[in-house]
Amino acid sequence: MRYSKSMARRFIAAAFIAAVPIGAQAGTYNLTVDRVKIDTGDFVKEGIGYNGASPGPVMRFKEGEEVTINVKNNLRETTSIHWHGLILPYQQDGVPTISFDGIKPGETFTYKFPIVQAGTYWYHSHSGFQEPDGAYGAIVIEPKDREPFRYDREYVVQLADKHRHSGDRIMRNLKMMPDYYNRKQRTAGDFFKDLSEKGLSATLSDRSDWGDMRMMPTDIEDVQGFTPLINGKGPKQNWTGIFKPGERVRLRFVNSSAMTYFDIRIPGLKMTVVNADGNNVRPVTVDELRIAVSETYDVIVRPTEDRAYTIFAESMGRTAYARGTLAPRAGMTADVPKLRKSPLLTMADMGMAHEGMDHGSMKGMDRSAMKKPMDHSNMKGMDHSAMKKPMDHSGMKGMDHSAHGGIGAKKSDAFYAAGSGLAPKAANGGKFLSYADLKAQKPLYEHRPATREIEIRITGNMERYLWSLNDVKYGDAEPIRLKYGERVRFKFVNETMMTHPMHLHGMWSILDTGAKKWNPIKHVVSVSPGTTVYMETEVDAPGQWAFHCHLSYHAASGMFRKVIVEGGPEASTTTPAREIQKAEK
Amino acid sequence: MRRSENSKSKTILTVAVALSLSISAGAMAAGSHGGGHGSGGHSSASEMKPKMGHGDGHAHGHGNAAGEPGKKADVSRTLEIDMTENRYSQEKITVKAGETIRFVIHNKGELVHEFNIGTPAMHKGHQKEMMMMVDHGVLEADKINHAKMKMDMGGGKTMEHNDPNSALLEPGKSGEIVWKFSKAGTFEIACNVPGHYDAGMVGELTVK
Repeated sequence: MRYSKSMARRFIAAAFIAAVPIGAQAGTYNLTVDRVKIDTGDFVKEGIGYNGASPGPVMRFKEGEEVTINVKNNLRETTSIHWHGLILPYQQDGVPTISFDGIKPGETFTYKFPIVQAGTYWYHSHSGFQEPDGAYGAIVIEPKDREPFRYDREYVVQLADKHRHSGDRIMRNLKMMPDYYNRKQRTAGDFFKDLSEKGLSATLSDRSDWGDMRMMPTDIEDVQGFTPLINGKGPKQNWTGIFKPGERVRLRFVNSSAMTYFDIRIPGLKMTVVNADGNNVRPVTVDELRIAVSETYDVIVRPTEDRAYTIFAESMGRTAYARGTLAPRAGMTADVPKLRKSPLLTMADMGMAHEGMDHGSMKGMDRSAMKKPMDHSNMKGMDHSAMKKPMDHSGMKGMDHSAHGGIGAKKSDAFYAAGSGLAPKAANGGKFLSYADLKAQKPLYEHRPATREIEIRITGNMERYLWSLNDVKYGDAEPIRLKYGERVRFKFVNETMMTHPMHLHGMWSILDTGAKKWNPIKHVVSVSPGTTVYMETEVDAPGQWAFHCHLSYHAASGMFRKVIVEGGPEASTTTPAREIQKAEK
Repeated sequence: MRRSENSKSKTILTVAVALSLSISAGAMAAGSHGGGHGSGGHSSASEMKPKMGHGDGHAHGHGNAAGEPGKKADVSRTLEIDMTENRYSQEKITVKAGETIRFVIHNKGELVHEFNIGTPAMHKGHQKEMMMMVDHGVLEADKINHAKMKMDMGGGKTMEHNDPNSALLEPGKSGEIVWKFSKAGTFEIACNVPGHYDAGMVGELTVK
């Protein structure tokens, strides 16, 4: 019973009555939350894990199953588990202060919910910084019906950005000095280099613009100095998946990083993307893809040669890489590529393209692609506070891509500001996955116009490491109130220079790529700097839910909201008695 | 043997890529010239030699390493094959050399699928053509825009998909191929709609 459009509403009602259909499986699972040792190959430190290890075990469920999960807290602090991307009653969603009170030290909490979907997901603590400290694991749900693709074997490939410092310490340091972990600051040497390339006035003006924004062109990763992990193993420890040449291998990529986006490729292999955020997409074959924090992508690869292949995942800021291997036999390795050059943010990422200025050419900028260039002909002395209108890419929507015509015509990715320093390119010059390539294999909902639009400006003050929505941090904000049965169109306007993976709990995020009924269904929508992105949500889950940026230190410093769904089959939205941390620090 | 098969399949690729950008009387007379793809359609017939090397409409299937269009009278048996999301109901087919088979193909899925008999190299070439059909709006996920297929691509070429070794079908539709397997070899049945082959919509066809 796929959670299909026709039964979307009815199902929720049925699920809440917790009627277990005859013949449905009912599995019981046990997890303990423990202090564990984490060895990255670069350093060993204490962290948090499940059943004695980080990452925790892969939880394998079956669509239609009624699961019971006993979670015992062996920590000296409160904990919680959030089942990221799962559609379930809100009391089972695992967010302290919103879904429940959390799990106190020594207590066992029993989660119980029906599995109404299939695909790749993950679970993690929603308390404090336990997730960056290691409290995460993967979820694999086998579908009731056959998959629309074939594979001979499968592996979870779970990425993380393990830091030597604990999450609490990182947050304290960021608050004290927002660039504490930015090792890529521009130097005096860069200044003189720019001077010789761009001339004095352009260089000075460029520096002053960035200064006024309280940002730096290197502000791509807030937190550097981590060791990327694949399934808990650092690059030196080289996680390896075995295959027989000619087999189709399904790789379930999960990005469980606190802060880091990764660009993933496997030199020598094409990857056919078949699933994004747990939902099947029409297969699209790419050379490389970018995975936002907390997203999942399933790809099928078919290594035919009797040799090893490197799974190479560079951080978006190119400060580190995760590395694993696919090989016919254990112990084999393949070449490990070098990190590419760090990208620099451009004025386009600030929401202001320096059109017509004397600043030399903007890297990678395609002026012809700029649908609505803003008039920045006189940037100097400009009021930067007025720069609140990043380019609106909604205009791209009706765009007839057929007009681009022809094989090999490079389309600019509408999900990056034109001229953005972040717009990705495949290392081999081939195809890089874009959100625009994601098309639902089987739409979950009927396509219908939204009943209303809610604008969410993604805001922040980098200098004080304050992150907010509509300029208000979580602690000072009213909840977002939705009505059961409506279809809300969220307009995300990114006014910061960072990329934010926005995550709505409990209900699907239908990303507007302009594909109408084929728009992909996700649980995380990444919003690049200087862009506006729309997503729609069928409000079909009563109760109260969390909505936040999934970068751990952004969520914790205020880029977070409570969403209350009013009405519906179960109208009572009792607030948990105790209020426990998360968010605000 | 392997080598001769390969070199042959290459020449075939140029002649019989399933999406032949064919010249047909209909396309010449009624081809729409929209889409900004050049104005080759206005040139005289003598200039209409296809430049992309896909052969003309009459060359279809000739030299296909997997055989040739068969005659109905020679059909020795009928194979019914269902297509659903990214798979065939039969993924292994064995026939005898010299046999003529009638394939009855049903698309029981929700998206457009193809049943195409050829070599891996032919399929690879055809996948590029199919991608072009998608880029030009000829092929949508769940429908085929037949009018756009006739669009003149310049030089009198169109994107008509009318090869005797292929059935490209919308959801709910059925099609038929009568095919004579001339000689022994290993081939593939494949769907060349973008992504489908890579997702596993391919089957083994052995001619003994």
